[in-house]
Amino acid sequence: MEGISLERRKFRLPISMVGLILFNVLLFIGLSILSPTFLTLRNMRSLMVRMSELAMLTFAQTLVLINGGMDLTVGSAMALSGTIAGMLFKVGAHPVIAVLGALVTGIVIGTLNGFLVVHLKIDSFIATVATNSILRSVVYLLLRGRVLSGFPKNYVLLGSVNLLGIPLLFVLVIVFAIILHFFLRKTALGRSVYAVGANINCAHISGIDTNFVKYFVFVASGLLSAIGGVFYTIRIGAMIPDAGLNSPLEVVTAALIGGASVKGGKGSIFGSLLGILAMYVLINGFNLLGFNPFWEVVLLGIVLITIVGQSSMKKVVKMSRASRRGRAA
Amino acid sequence: MRTKNRLQRLIQVRELPLLAFIVLLIIFFSITIKGFMTVQNFAMISRQITTVGIVSIGMTLVLVTGGIDLSVGAILSFAINIGGLLIIRGLPIAITYPFILLLGAIMGTINGLLIVWLKVPAIIVTLGTMNIFRGAIMIITRGKYMTQIPDGYLWIGSGYTPFVIFVILLVIFEFTLRRTRFGRNIVAIGSNEQSALYSGVPVNWFKILVYLLSGIFSALAGIIFIGRSGFIQPQAGIGYEMNSIAAVVIGGTSIYGGSGTIIGTFLGSFLMGLILAGITMLAVNAYWQGVINGLLIILAISFDTLRQMRRE
Repeated sequence: MEGISLERRKFRLPISMVGLILFNVLLFIGLSILSPTFLTLRNMRSLMVRMSELAMLTFAQTLVLINGGMDLTVGSAMALSGTIAGMLFKVGAHPVIAVLGALVTGIVIGTLNGFLVVHLKIDSFIATVATNSILRSVVYLLLRGRVLSGFPKNYVLLGSVNLLGIPLLFVLVIVFAIILHFFLRKTALGRSVYAVGANINCAHISGIDTNFVKYFVFVASGLLSAIGGVFYTIRIGAMIPDAGLNSPLEVVTAALIGGASVKGGKGSIFGSLLGILAMYVLINGFNLLGFNPFWEVVLLGIVLITIVGQSSMKKVVKMSRASRRGRAA
Repeated sequence: MRTKNRLQRLIQVRELPLLAFIVLLIIFFSITIKGFMTVQNFAMISRQITTVGIVSIGMTLVLVTGGIDLSVGAILSFAINIGGLLIIRGLPIAITYPFILLLGAIMGTINGLLIVWLKVPAIIVTLGTMNIFRGAIMIITRGKYMTQIPDGYLWIGSGYTPFVIFVILLVIFEFTLRRTRFGRNIVAIGSNEQSALYSGVPVNWFKILVYLLSGIFSALAGIIFIGRSGFIQPQAGIGYEMNSIAAVVIGGTSIYGGSGTIIGTFLGSFLMGLILAGITMLAVNAYWQGVINGLLIILAISFDTLRQMRRE
């Protein structure tokens, strides 16, 4: 009890988070002034719908990053589960069955990744390089390299349904964000995701079943990616074999901008949400202003290096100060 | 006694099982495919593996130091697309080739400097620079192909020339990694950076040097890419980072740093090329390539872990 209350008193919004919120706000204000179409209901809605599946993948990646790993299969898991849903629709399955099929696909993929990382002790980066290669090929083989259409009308219509004026898909993203946030902050399993990422030996000695936590994180990542796949098929109404080809790197970038670390133990769901929001607002703004969209890619790279670089520079400065003080004393 | 020791040592060589696997695969393909065991076929495979192979030499050095370079494909593309602006203006090879290599060296140095100065993990720095370089290419070239390549540029990509260059580099860097101060020091950095630093290894210099070399190798692969395809496209080199990491890891280099061989990397890239050629000739759907590459990586690493556990 005491530990929890202590933590609550100490809780402050981290500086980087304030910076990220400020960045988003400034971006919004700037774009509203520069482009008359930016702050219209239509543009806002399309922005929310477009970022919904990437947001789910970012959540997936955030969980794995906090746990000290990396999951490069999020994009191909999204594509494969969307493909499975589409193929189930093709044979006339009920939408519930099709969606369930997609989710099961995600869970199977996550279990496979978990097996490679936990039991074969392969580094998660290289293990998911391998499974990503396999999964992407399976998508190509199943689709024969062609676009799969023929999703039922009512299913695709979900993409334009609004709840209180907000697109349903985005409402779901927010719901997932809240659930995952509380899961990570308030539950024992959620805390152990951080503990394993921060120091796996320490977590193991404190009695955490580290293997179970790792498995859980990869399965959750697969499941969230599969939900992203469902969102994708709802939004596009088809499955493209190249869907999500670049998303692993995009979502890693978003999560790192949102405060996660490749060394594990750090990160938050809302930070990642702000990260992906900043990316999509930037893309949208650049489109509206008629810039070459590739400036966004360049800017993203610079932002990534400076944000992560600046935080590690702070650490170096702090360390050298501490050592100087130590010498003086 | 001595011969027995030698035999034992030979069996412990990491590359041997890989070599055995390659031989078995060649036997399998030559039985099942008519015209597999031809000079032309192997000449084709040798040309195909060269570009990713040369990139993989640089990647091996980077991985040995415990780093990673995700920007290799972007560097390749950037170097040849910017160099291409000079090529289509008709500048002589004596200027364009050094210019392309210089671009690769500069971009590699940028990676190295950022990693050393900012103390950011290599995976993040090179992920960032990959984005920056790729974006810059599209902004500068506006996504256009360059097809007006003079015939002089095709020589380096035809016949056995690329493979000869590849083999020369393999020999030089296998020797460098095993026998020189540079090689021993980068292995030391990869196995324990702190202790390397305390024993007087100029860690930062060697790290920058390794990324610089990786940049030059990427640019050189780009030069051969121009020779092979006869045009320059902004999308050149996409996926090279993953393919080269796969080849290096299949070849037995640890992604945690501290161990690795160039010979292994050659065998890794040869194996991948062999399988690609085999499934193409068997008329199996080429998409199976990805499945096989993935399985190979998993197999190779599990094999390494198993060997290590046995030794312990």
